[in-house]
Amino acid sequence: MPEDSVPLAAPAIAAVAEAAAPRREGRGRLLWTVLKYALLTLGALAMLLPFLDMVLGALRTPAERLARPPVYWPRDPQWGNFVRIYDQLPLLRWTANSLGVTLAITTLQCLTSAMAGYALAKFRFPGSLSIFRFAVGAQMFPFFIFLIPWFFILRYFPLAGGNDWTGTGGTGFLGSYAALVLPFAVSWYGIFLMRQFFLGVPDELLDAARIDGAGEFFIFFRIALPLVGSGLATLAIFVFLYHWNEVLWTLTVTRTAPDLQTLPVGIYLLRGPFEQEGTKSLQQAAVVVSILPVIIVFLLLQRYYVASVTSGSVKG
Amino acid sequence: MRRSPVLSSWVNSQKVVPWLFLSPVIVFALVFFVLPVGFAAYVSLTTWDSLTPPRWVGLKNYQYLFATDPLFLKTLRQTLTFAAGTLAIGVPLALLIAMAFSRVPYKGAWRVAYTLPMVTNIVAVGFIFWFVFRQTDGLLNRVLGLFGLPGPGWLTDPSLAMLSSILVYVWMELGRNMLLFAAGLGSIEEGYAEAARLDGASEWQVFRHVTLPLLRPTLLFVVITGFISGMSYFTLMLVLFPGTQGGPSRAALTTGQYMYQMAFEDLRMGRASAVAYVLFALVLAASLVQLRLLRRGGVEA
Repeated sequence: MPEDSVPLAAPAIAAVAEAAAPRREGRGRLLWTVLKYALLTLGALAMLLPFLDMVLGALRTPAERLARPPVYWPRDPQWGNFVRIYDQLPLLRWTANSLGVTLAITTLQCLTSAMAGYALAKFRFPGSLSIFRFAVGAQMFPFFIFLIPWFFILRYFPLAGGNDWTGTGGTGFLGSYAALVLPFAVSWYGIFLMRQFFLGVPDELLDAARIDGAGEFFIFFRIALPLVGSGLATLAIFVFLYHWNEVLWTLTVTRTAPDLQTLPVGIYLLRGPFEQEGTKSLQQAAVVVSILPVIIVFLLLQRYYVASVTSGSVKG
Repeated sequence: MRRSPVLSSWVNSQKVVPWLFLSPVIVFALVFFVLPVGFAAYVSLTTWDSLTPPRWVGLKNYQYLFATDPLFLKTLRQTLTFAAGTLAIGVPLALLIAMAFSRVPYKGAWRVAYTLPMVTNIVAVGFIFWFVFRQTDGLLNRVLGLFGLPGPGWLTDPSLAMLSSILVYVWMELGRNMLLFAAGLGSIEEGYAEAARLDGASEWQVFRHVTLPLLRPTLLFVVITGFISGMSYFTLMLVLFPGTQGGPSRAALTTGQYMYQMAFEDLRMGRASAVAYVLFALVLAASLVQLRLLRRGGVEA
């Protein structure tokens, strides 16, 4: 439906319509108001009840779980479960791994994206358009195509993790934090996004600093970068939440390296100890604990997150 | 910091500076983009168990997938069902909720409720629904029971496994799509709709002939990016159906998960790379369609 005509109000018709409008509109509006709140409430319940279900599950006693029929509302809430799982599982280690890896990735991606975006937005040089097109095109490559080759590139990386220069003899980057961080050091989308933000920085400002004798790195870090601060924050929060929740790659490279596992991966792999129905409350408590940190970050920085979700779509 | 004047002027020359800023990205692109894409293409033409050297077999892996493999085409069909199903249910729902959302006060509170699932890690989402979907005492069947409806085995019945996966994915993505639609609706000028109403158009007519055409760029963006990520998705199924290969009777096995198991459990790197490239071809075709359509719609992806 390319050219659906938008009927424009001819004054005469408008006057007639207006005379007839109020009553119908009044009833229609009330109906729509009731409908929209009903819809939003139902939707919000569907969004939130599964979380509540998990919390209630974490609070049940083993006896309540094994009763027939099972008890839904815990009568004797086991708040201690949230403490007990810290004794049973290396949750602190996993949290520290998650935090370290995610912060490293976020810092690297913000830095590389800002530097590249700045070069592409503020300098004219042969090849700049090709590089920009490459960054846009690279976004179209789905993650799964890299799973197998990344694994072996890190495994046979020359001179890393006991490897000689031909890439054999050791285990390469596998078994080290580098395996979790390096493949995500650059984000093509981040470059694209930062270029957009740097396009808004006036050239005159940078040229004035050059005339004053400032070095190029000084200009970038002290003048250009602070001007795109909110753009950088948008990228940072998006990258942080995305990689905090990353599972597939971490699972692939840390299956045999428990010390490197992150919060979601550690919990995913821990099914054995919770096979018995009576112990499932502890499993559910661990899941609740794994969600809490992001929810706090998200509530604090919601505004930036919303901006990062919508910044890729509609222009303007 | 003291630097030699020669070095300093070289570093600061307008010809060199941009390349210095781009150098980390260029090194990364060579090692983690160009090399892997070429390496995967090469491996897809070999038989390789990752322990002994690869053996060249030409296009035999691709031939095997389409001619002999008993599962590959089934997984492709199921992947398409998953991607299309999540859109068919998720997009109209997100649009409806966005329309309600853009006309109420206290947006912040509503927004938190709807976006909480999308910041929750996938392992937690998998566990949450593993419990919600339990047949005898899961939340969903308890709610159905309140209305006197029978509670099926959402995760154990092969005919429901795909639908359950789709529903969870819709739940996860609803917030994102709702935010995108809300942003799209916000950029539409109220004037058009007002004019149509003054002309006596019903609310449905306003929606159908005014709002929807103006929302076309957002709609396309949501549909096509959603389709592409739906085609590549399988982490959810790993968590939702533990210890199985994509659920009961493999009813929720998608091509991505099939590739993952081939590579990291069966150590058939060549065949798995061929699967990756076939799926990639499909996703790329969808991406190109997206670019074409979005350009026409006046949107920058």
